[in-house]
Amino acid sequence: MHFSEDDLREALKRKDPGEGFTQRTIARVNQARVNQAQVSQSKSESKPEPAKKNNGAFLVWWMHRPVWTIAVVAMLLLAFGIGGYQYSEYRHAVEMRLARQRQQQLQQEAERARDQAIMALEIARAKMNHVLQHAQLQAEPNDKIRRQRL
Amino acid sequence: MEQTAAFQDDRLNLALNRALTGDAQGFADLVREHQGMVFSIAYHFLQDRSLAEDLAQEVFLELFQSLDRIQSPAHLTYWLRRVTANRCIDQGRKKHRRREMALEEAPEPTTASPHADPMLLERLQQSMATLPEKQRLVVIMRFQEGLGPAEIAEVLEMPVNTVKSTLHRSLADLRKGLTRKIREVRYAFF
Repeated sequence: MHFSEDDLREALKRKDPGEGFTQRTIARVNQARVNQAQVSQSKSESKPEPAKKNNGAFLVWWMHRPVWTIAVVAMLLLAFGIGGYQYSEYRHAVEMRLARQRQQQLQQEAERARDQAIMALEIARAKMNHVLQHAQLQAEPNDKIRRQRL
Repeated sequence: MEQTAAFQDDRLNLALNRALTGDAQGFADLVREHQGMVFSIAYHFLQDRSLAEDLAQEVFLELFQSLDRIQSPAHLTYWLRRVTANRCIDQGRKKHRRREMALEEAPEPTTASPHADPMLLERLQQSMATLPEKQRLVVIMRFQEGLGPAEIAEVLEMPVNTVKSTLHRSLADLRKGLTRKIREVRYAFF
């Protein structure tokens, strides 16, 4: 079935909201005005607020733009996600660096201990050689005498 | 014709100025002048008379609260179209969440002009309900309000090219929907 743009115009032509719509609307506006006056009166009677904030209008603005709200929330989530991931990566890198440093330190200490042990052995060997030489020198005349007796 | 438009503009200007000074009759004149537009946008979007009336009243209530921001009759029309469109989208989502079948949901019988096919008009109205929200609003702004793509883009805060493509797609969808409906009717009968 085909339709023309005129058909669509005809189907979507303005409709009358019916009798009494204006009166009902004005009554609703008046009611809202009375309610607002009562609220502002009760507010002024209660303790004064330090600073009046315009949070209501701000919220209404966001409520009327759900796509923007979703986009902002999504962007915040994304930003927090990326931030969290970056922070965990940074923490991991720092921990790895500290572990590497600790390992290097341990290795250096082990090498130092090994060097000290080698030096101690060298000293002990030198001392032993020295003692041995002394002992040989002292034993040498006795040997000569023994050989002469034989 | 031009004289009539100028006269109407003067009348609206006067009503707006009176409303701005707090005159209830001035505000009532503004409501009377624009109620058809606001109610019809809501009705064609929601296809529910009581919801549309409620929404239209809320729009006028918001107008009353923001009256000091309205600069001219043209700005008032633009403002009303924009707020109505935003509220329609909100209301449409709420309605979607709690889908209830009310008697009022049945499309209102159309009072067609003599040359129009009443069945076609009724089917067109029914098919409108199947369009996605933005598409529906674009079609309403184009064919109910007679706005051009640039004006629709301004009211609905969309790029002009998107409006054009949406309009094109909506008409194609409406045609497709109508053809499908006709086929269903044929299968039901034969």
